[in-house]
Amino acid sequence: MLDYIRLEVRRTLRDKGFVIFGIGMPVLMYVLMTNIGAGPGGAGMEWKITSMVGMAAYGALGAAVGTGTGVAEDKHLGWLRQLRITPLSPIRVVVGRGLTGSVTVLPAIAAVLLVGALVNGVRMPAWQWAALVGLLWVGTAPFTLLGLGNGYRLSSQSTGVVNTGCMLLLSILGGLWFPAELFPGWLRSLSSWTPGNRFAELGRSVTQGGAPGLGTVAVLAAWLALFGGYAVYAYRRAARTV
Amino acid sequence: MTLTTGPVSAARKADGAAAVGFSGVTRSYGAVRAVDGLDLEIAAGETVALLGRNGAGKSTTINMLLGLLPPSSGTVRLFGGAPEAAVQAGKVGAMLQDGKPIPRVTVRELISFVAATYPHPMDVTEALELAGLGEFGGRRVDRLSGGQAQRVRFAVALAGNPELLVLDEPTAALDVEARRAFWRSMRAYARRGNTILFSTHYLEEADEHADRIVVIDGGRVVADGSGEAIKRRAGGALVSFDLAGAASEPLPGLPGVSAVEIRGDRALLRTADSDATVVALAELGLVRGLQVAPASLEDAFLALTSARTAPHGTAFDAADALSAKEIA
Repeated sequence: MLDYIRLEVRRTLRDKGFVIFGIGMPVLMYVLMTNIGAGPGGAGMEWKITSMVGMAAYGALGAAVGTGTGVAEDKHLGWLRQLRITPLSPIRVVVGRGLTGSVTVLPAIAAVLLVGALVNGVRMPAWQWAALVGLLWVGTAPFTLLGLGNGYRLSSQSTGVVNTGCMLLLSILGGLWFPAELFPGWLRSLSSWTPGNRFAELGRSVTQGGAPGLGTVAVLAAWLALFGGYAVYAYRRAARTV
Repeated sequence: MTLTTGPVSAARKADGAAAVGFSGVTRSYGAVRAVDGLDLEIAAGETVALLGRNGAGKSTTINMLLGLLPPSSGTVRLFGGAPEAAVQAGKVGAMLQDGKPIPRVTVRELISFVAATYPHPMDVTEALELAGLGEFGGRRVDRLSGGQAQRVRFAVALAGNPELLVLDEPTAALDVEARRAFWRSMRAYARRGNTILFSTHYLEEADEHADRIVVIDGGRVVADGSGEAIKRRAGGALVSFDLAGAASEPLPGLPGVSAVEIRGDRALLRTADSDATVVALAELGLVRGLQVAPASLEDAFLALTSARTAPHGTAFDAADALSAKEIA
């Protein structure tokens, strides 16, 4: 299975679309949002940190959901069928693909945080950086499952569209681009129940020196269960035809 | 119901686990029966061609064989167990018809990965050589031509050094040269004692490269044996001569004749016994520009498979109907 993960990670990192849009885009947006239009004297440190977490979360979310787009592509090419006639068991293929997703979210997280530290001068104790990376990494699990579910259930073309749509919706609604505090009241309360928002909250709590609240973890766990169930359902349905 | 001919099938041993065993297998897609009561046994070490026209049920049969598709009824066994078990044990390698190699990996990376999933894989360099990819190892799979990509799929099938190699229309995208090289490699692999099943709708390929041909049509086996045996089945030879104004009425009644066609002034007789037919023609004084040709495998194939689907109205209907009756 390690070989499979290595193969898939390699394929993902060689994907120019992934590198440009998955890693370059969040970095670029972070730089723009914290340096342009911020008025004389630039943006405050608080916004630099909030936006750093938001953009790292956005990049990670995109990479996680994108894993499913890759699955749909493989399904379309007949590669999933080919894998089924190797001794690699179906469960290892699915788990391997999920773990691949968890590896490919790291470059986006690392890139945005690096820019935060080097360009925007964000300073935090080492444990906070480590915890931030760790939490953002673990927190992508629901999105990987959502992407995989779409990838197994839908055709190659529609998966790309649906996954991109999911990513944008969850990112914007979750307040990863613009803080949810700027939303009107009803949207703000809706936002706090979305997985994107709670995902970023995992990271934000660390930057404020605390641990994520129980509510945040509970909401994310609920989304994890929901998307996990969806992925299992989609895979079972697809297994009949792939 | 099934017509079994030739020494190969007679020589097949009843004891021991066959490499492949289908018994009473059916598979329906909604109201359509793609496979309709298939019985087939392939002994270890045989090279078998699964011959049929498009839609005859070849790919459905292969998908069931590989455990990709459960049969609607009946059982499929590989090496005495369930197909999934044989696949898990690394005994099976396959080249699927609709498979395309995945992008953004090199040929060697891909083949190495597949090989590593098997317990006793082939050396990667050897697999690449055997598939005719020796010089393309470092090339990205998505930057290969159609023929080269087809060879990659062959290498994927070979990589695990499987006992049973299944090839679904393996030469579809290959030019003549590549085709020849492909069959050379396949034979080399067969000589190592491996079992090979390939599907094709090219008759010559089946005749030249398989020990045994299994003709399927309408989801069942309609003939099973060597190429020679199948040619014999379809009614021996074609006898043709110039009528030169003679009446054609007595011709269908001549010994051995199963069908008559008149083309201009030339008569073509399909006959099961060309000697008897020619003697009878001589007695009638009809030996003018006489030619006796063996029925081609193509004739045999058409005779065996046209019963259900071919449009009627040709002079060879009689032969078709006859074969159909015998088969049914």
